[in-house]
Amino acid sequence: MKRVAYVLGLPVVLFAAWFLLSSGSESFYAPPLRTILASFADTWTLDRLRADVLPSLLRLAAGYAVAGVLGVAIGITIGLNRRVRATVEPVLEFFRALPPPVLVPIIMLFAGIGDSMKIIVIALGCVWPILLNTVEGVRAVDSIQIDTARAYGISGPSRIRQVILPAASPQIAAGLRQALSIAIILMVISEMFASSNGLGFTIVQFQRSFAIPEMWSGIILLGLLGFTLSLLFRLAEGRALRWYHGLREAQRRS
Amino acid sequence: MLKVTGLRKTYRSGAREVEALRDLTFTVENGELVCLVGPSGCGKTTLLRCIAGLLDPSGGTISLDGQPVQGPPPGLAMVFQEYGRSLFPWMTVRDNVELPLKQKKLPAARRASLVSSALSAVGLEGTESAYPWQLSGGMQQRVAIARAVAYEPSTLLMDEPFAAVDAQTRADLEDLVRALWQRLNVTVLFITHDIDEAVYLGQRVIMLSSSPTVVQDEITVDLPASRDQLHTRADARFTELRTHVYEQIQAAKRGAQSTVDS
Ligand SMILES: Nc1ncnc2c1ncn2[C@@H]1O[C@H](COP(=O)(O)OP(=O)(O)OP(=O)(O)O)[C@@H](O)[C@H]1O
Ligand SMILES: [Mg+2]
Repeated sequence: MKRVAYVLGLPVVLFAAWFLLSSGSESFYAPPLRTILASFADTWTLDRLRADVLPSLLRLAAGYAVAGVLGVAIGITIGLNRRVRATVEPVLEFFRALPPPVLVPIIMLFAGIGDSMKIIVIALGCVWPILLNTVEGVRAVDSIQIDTARAYGISGPSRIRQVILPAASPQIAAGLRQALSIAIILMVISEMFASSNGLGFTIVQFQRSFAIPEMWSGIILLGLLGFTLSLLFRLAEGRALRWYHGLREAQRRS
Repeated sequence: MLKVTGLRKTYRSGAREVEALRDLTFTVENGELVCLVGPSGCGKTTLLRCIAGLLDPSGGTISLDGQPVQGPPPGLAMVFQEYGRSLFPWMTVRDNVELPLKQKKLPAARRASLVSSALSAVGLEGTESAYPWQLSGGMQQRVAIARAVAYEPSTLLMDEPFAAVDAQTRADLEDLVRALWQRLNVTVLFITHDIDEAVYLGQRVIMLSSSPTVVQDEITVDLPASRDQLHTRADARFTELRTHVYEQIQAAKRGAQSTVDS
């Protein structure tokens, strides 16, 4: 109960402030929040959610899943092999330094403007934190844990599944968390470039047709979406890494 | 039979070289319980890691039952000195003990009975579903011992396994190791820095010199096979033997001193 209050406290205060400060606004581009909220209910009907938000979410899920699988798989390969690591690490750093949105026009050339383009953009943009964190996590696995596995004949795939992956999982989760916010940004951006549906597309459409309260309501929806997704992520992580948080707690106490 | 011949290990990191083992030769017969004592830093852990196939020697050979050791030999279990770090914190006590058995592809029922009998042998019934980090250091060490015991190894290497337990538990665990050794007919190589423990446990005690490390001396412990904490330790022969081991270790230290001086 208290935690919920902490999580929701500041957003509620900010919304209240926005509501009060904007209530007398005459500006065309910054209408009162009351107007925006009124248009929210009219704009985001069930049909619209199905037609525009659902495709966005599906593409987000697909791109994020591809990035997760690729990032972890390649990350483990690189992390376990010193020679591969020395060769590819500078290249990885280079790709990571590229701002993902610049990829959009290039990928459009290859993959057109359909769903696959957007999924590729999301996957390529958010794979880097997952990949690099996995490499880091795998490298940092305690040598005694690895020796223990070796001494008891735990090798090959079962060593990866039973020892390497769980040992690196806290760091992998950190990468996945960073990747989630990048994925949401890229979901919107890829739809702004070229699209016929989606949340980003709809917001741009509203803006171009000067439907300003509707545009604002779209931005609020986007914010809510990001907030919900990161909340879900935190819940899932807390469950999957309960051992890790417990271990940290135990180490702090001693 | 475990046979170590002319074993040498030099660690190299950059320009720095550490000669951990100079020249070790000894054998351990099948079903024997041998204790290894030596001053801190003389290379006991290094030796054990070489035998376990986790570390490549710089020279010499190790063979187990006639097979040269090149990687971790099957049927060998090791209790690490860093017991806390050798348990997997994402697994419960039960899963930690069971994991090597799964690797051996034992059926589930057999695994369950091995796990529970190993845990009760070290006095840890009821902790099956706890995580290692919820246990005290001594309990963690016993989980590591239970994992090795449940594995039913033919060779068991133990690296100062009782360092973190209190005196009473230690005495119990010493008796447990002897009982298990007699029951399972396993070859045990047991490292300790405690001279009394070495004499109490072992059929033989091998003493290592301090670095540069060679075998300083070796004695056969001619105490009766059935030992108990009270009477064996009060035995006159026990006192003689431990005095001998103690003197040898002092001599080893002096020897090292004089090589440094000269
Ligand atoms: N990975 C390593 N790299 C470099 N030097 C090492 C390494 N491991 C051990 N050494 C050195 O080798 C020597 C022997 O170390 P080892 O851990 O085998 O001793 P030990 O007899 O087990 O000591 P203790 O009784 O304190 O456990 C020490 O001088 C140590 O500093
Ligand atoms: Mg040691």
